[in-house]
Amino acid sequence: MNIQANGLCAERSGRIILHPTDVNLKPGERVGLVGASGSGKSTLGHELVDGLRARGTRVAHVPQSPDEALDPLRTMAFHWRETEHALGHAPDTVRRDVLFHALQIEGGDLRKRPWGWSRGMQQRFVIAMALIGTPELLVMDEPTSALDPVVAAGTMDLLEAYLKKRQTALLLITHDLGLAARRVSRLMVMDAGRVVEDAPTARILSAPVTPAAKALCAHRNWLELPC
Amino acid sequence: MIGLVAGLFLRAFVVLTGTALATFALLWHAPGDPALSIAQARYGTIVSDEVLDFIRAEAGFEDGFWTAFWAWLAPLVQGDFGQSSVNGRDVWPNLVTAMSYTFPLAIFSLGIGLAISVPLALIATRKPGSWMDRGAVALASVGVAIPAFWLGLLLILLFAVQLGWLPAMGAETTAHSVLPALTLGFGVAASMTRIIRSGILEARGQPFLPAFYRRGVASRDIARDHVAPHAAVPVITVLGLELAFLLEGLVVVEVIFARPGLGSFLVHAIFARDFPKVQAVVILTAVIFVVVNLVIDLVYRSLDPRLDVRDA
Amino acid sequence: MLTVANISVRRGAAVTLRDLSLSLAPGRTLAVVGESGAGKSTLIGAILGLVRCSAGQVDWNAAPVSKCRPALVMQEPRAAFNPRLSLRRSVMEPVLAQKLAMDSDRLERLCRGLELQPDLLDRRPDQVSIGQAQRIGILRALIAAPPLVLFDEPLSALDAVTQKHTARLIADMQRQEGFAALIVTHDLGYAAAYADEIAVLRAGKIEEYAATQAFVDAPQSEYGRKLRGAAFALGALERVA
Repeated sequence: MNIQANGLCAERSGRIILHPTDVNLKPGERVGLVGASGSGKSTLGHELVDGLRARGTRVAHVPQSPDEALDPLRTMAFHWRETEHALGHAPDTVRRDVLFHALQIEGGDLRKRPWGWSRGMQQRFVIAMALIGTPELLVMDEPTSALDPVVAAGTMDLLEAYLKKRQTALLLITHDLGLAARRVSRLMVMDAGRVVEDAPTARILSAPVTPAAKALCAHRNWLELPC
Repeated sequence: MIGLVAGLFLRAFVVLTGTALATFALLWHAPGDPALSIAQARYGTIVSDEVLDFIRAEAGFEDGFWTAFWAWLAPLVQGDFGQSSVNGRDVWPNLVTAMSYTFPLAIFSLGIGLAISVPLALIATRKPGSWMDRGAVALASVGVAIPAFWLGLLLILLFAVQLGWLPAMGAETTAHSVLPALTLGFGVAASMTRIIRSGILEARGQPFLPAFYRRGVASRDIARDHVAPHAAVPVITVLGLELAFLLEGLVVVEVIFARPGLGSFLVHAIFARDFPKVQAVVILTAVIFVVVNLVIDLVYRSLDPRLDVRDA
Repeated sequence: MLTVANISVRRGAAVTLRDLSLSLAPGRTLAVVGESGAGKSTLIGAILGLVRCSAGQVDWNAAPVSKCRPALVMQEPRAAFNPRLSLRRSVMEPVLAQKLAMDSDRLERLCRGLELQPDLLDRRPDQVSIGQAQRIGILRALIAAPPLVLFDEPLSALDAVTQKHTARLIADMQRQEGFAALIVTHDLGYAAAYADEIAVLRAGKIEEYAATQAFVDAPQSEYGRKLRGAAFALGALERVA
């Protein structure tokens, strides 16, 4: 069954920052939501997650930075237990070990608080927490911006392998078309609070229509190297 | 950790020595002849020059400041508060009696202060900017501005004189401590309300909270497990200062309500130039202050251990 | 010519930079690439003389670097300005500090080169976009014509399109002004596209120091290869047939 939310919209202090938008994902589909900063990507992500959650769809959200996901006064173990509790799950160390293994954070000391872990480990812990409830959709907001490139690339590879196995859909929110193009099969391009283009990745890369998509495509990579 | 504890002890040492020296110097250089004051307190009449000389020699006034200071400090370090200049009796038993009146009153007042300020701050922050919030803030501002002696007299007028519900003077029964505790408690509540309110508002603005709602954590659990600890951090920090205001207020309140206790003990001792007694109260207060702040520091560090990391 | 010769920096018991050497000529660009905690910011501090080196020496033409009045472009564009002052006042700060004559032609020329409308300067930092704020930060760095400009992650607060736009403007300005540019970045893509040389910094040590083309074609160090692989995996660099 498709994951669908219609008429998502938002305004802040009287100004519309997200015009009514429909989002539709097939199970296991990987979609990129791209656009310049301030185009409304993160807002659409939040509205989508809140809307789906209200209707009982299993959906998880990974914010841009671990600072927006973890309480610095609470231990990692507390965060984990709290999330299990919120999902109505009994504590399950087997599941935890599987997720920690998948994201390669087995070495982390759960008695520590977030700042006792490196930022790369924190971000992967947040991703692991998002996967506890076996979501149908995972929404990730700029997942790589808080990470060093080597860690970011590794994390994306690990996550992709995990999601593929479970047929979990992914909505990847990013300003970086270069990143999205390597990870998703369909792109939604946002500009000024609207989705202005929605097409398979290859089509947008080869023939962008709107100015926003054209700008993203023109500045997709830093350098193209011959094979 | 060892460095931390050593630092805290060093701080305590500096505070205590500084306080001892400063009070002794103040008393020493206060205008008027201390021997005359002692004599008047002791005999209640005009005395001859020989008696004054005797008192001077006895209290060590003729040996110079540092000798007198040392003569008082040396036994104190061993826990001996010395004898009263006026009646020659040991200071310590009197001090214990005074404390037995003052400490329960202080705790009672602090309790009243928290019992008022916590619910008030919670109501105020339910809808920031609403009339309830503004009302609470206005009430707190007025409360901070009202001096304890005026509030105390007002409460006496209302509850003791007009209504006759509660006794105003003395400390024989628990009922006697209700009005003084209310007087102090209102002052504590006024300043605490503002601190708790801003603590809660700041905690609610923490950037990670939306993620917890999206994870499906219940609002009640978020308030208890995440907002409350963050709100507590600034509140705990100012509790130490609050204690200083409380000690200051106790002196005034005990005089107004004619209660025995550290405040009246201190005031009488100052009038009589009873050096050992004054010093005893000041040192005791300083010790309480240092210990409470030490405890607050440790609680703060256990709540937010990032402080240790930053120190390192 | 900037010469960093065998510097080491200790912070407490930890060594944050060890035996590090670099050199950079006017008009050239050196990119220092590395992960967070590698010592990139410490290196900038050491070059500017803000961090004391326990060994080694940093020179500009055989004199202390501070003599040449180097400029710094910071990571967070808005935080780099006093929020109470107009941007014009902040931009003119280096001119005032060095008691130089106010040259309005130069200001106008730099504004044009950085694609800034001159009236933007009458606003305050929170009234311009982040991309504009960063270009104004570059304007401030260049106003007093420094021979050496240090860029501390100049693009990481910007979005992908603005990053590439800003990077091109920096390169244009360098061609026009001829300063030596030392760019600290975690983004190998940026370094590969604009630097003449790349130094890979890891745990306070230089793992690899090579001409950009040579590095991109075939990194010699293990970590250099990982960085290059990650740049492809994240789409910063692309392979085309």
